Amino acid sequence: MSAASVRAEAKRLLALSLEGGVVSSDRVGAVLAALSKSRPAHQLRPLLRAYLANIRRELARGEARIEHAGPLASSAADAIAAHFSAVLGRAVRPVARRNDALLGGFRVRVGDDVTDLTASLRLANLAKSLS
Amino acid sequence: MTFLSALLAAETAHEAPKAGAGPLGDIVHLFGSFGVDKAHLTVQVVNFALLAFVLYRFAIKPALGQLEERIRQAEQLQQDRAAAEAQLAAAQKTAEARLVAASDEAAKILADARNAAKAAVEAARAEAQAAQTEVIAKAKAAIEADRVKMMDEVRGEVSRLVVATAAKVLEQDLDDAQRGRLNEAAVKQLAR
Repeated sequence: MSAASVRAEAKRLLALSLEGGVVSSDRVGAVLAALSKSRPAHQLRPLLRAYLANIRRELARGEARIEHAGPLASSAADAIAAHFSAVLGRAVRPVARRNDALLGGFRVRVGDDVTDLTASLRLANLAKSLS
Repeated sequence: MTFLSALLAAETAHEAPKAGAGPLGDIVHLFGSFGVDKAHLTVQVVNFALLAFVLYRFAIKPALGQLEERIRQAEQLQQDRAAAEAQLAAAQKTAEARLVAASDEAAKILADARNAAKAAVEAARAEAQAAQTEVIAKAKAAIEADRVKMMDEVRGEVSRLVVATAAKVLEQDLDDAQRGRLNEAAVKQLAR
């Protein structure tokens, strides 16, 4: 299989794995069971890699990964997720992780979009503007 | 001479009886007494005429011809001399005119050469001045670029140090309460 056909097949498998626009673990299990029976091993490896990348990307699209310095209340995390749900037009759930190197504020990543409201970024911008 | 003497003697003998006849005869007789008689006179006249003819034919006429030739040659020489003098005068005048023209031409060439040299000197001076100005401008630009670069480097280094110091101070000094307030402020900023 060529790389293009692998990408197309992985995209088709991802579409089969969604239920109501959200990745379903049951459907993913069914897709994997069907693949293991229908494809030989040498064709399965690149297809599974592409399928895994698509699943991760799709899961990331539904998560607001929040890096924050200091404590962040759950209500604040929910407010951040609600904001991005409203902006992107799909349900986004918050996943928070503490990182004190950011000094203050938080950085949110939804899919490929990054919103940075940290003190460390402001200091870096300040240094860049002064130099 | 013998023939002439005999002829004169015969003539004298034939005319003698007539000598005493009239005044003419007296005159002839008188001249005859001085040794002048007709025959001799005639002979002498003839001799003189012959001599005159011979002299004229072979001496005087060639001499006159030569004299006329000399006169003609002298006149020709005079004419030639006059012509030569005229040519000389014309040549002198031409030479003077050419000399004047050459002098004018030389003066003009000299003036042109001076002007050309002056223009060349001015052009070289302007070129040297332009090159000098360009070198100075490049040097100033290089110095200014170095200065700006150095200032940028210093500014960047100072900024980096300030920001790094501030980050370290903030990282050490901020407590959770302060960080929580910062997070709340960021949430409010996100909502705006």
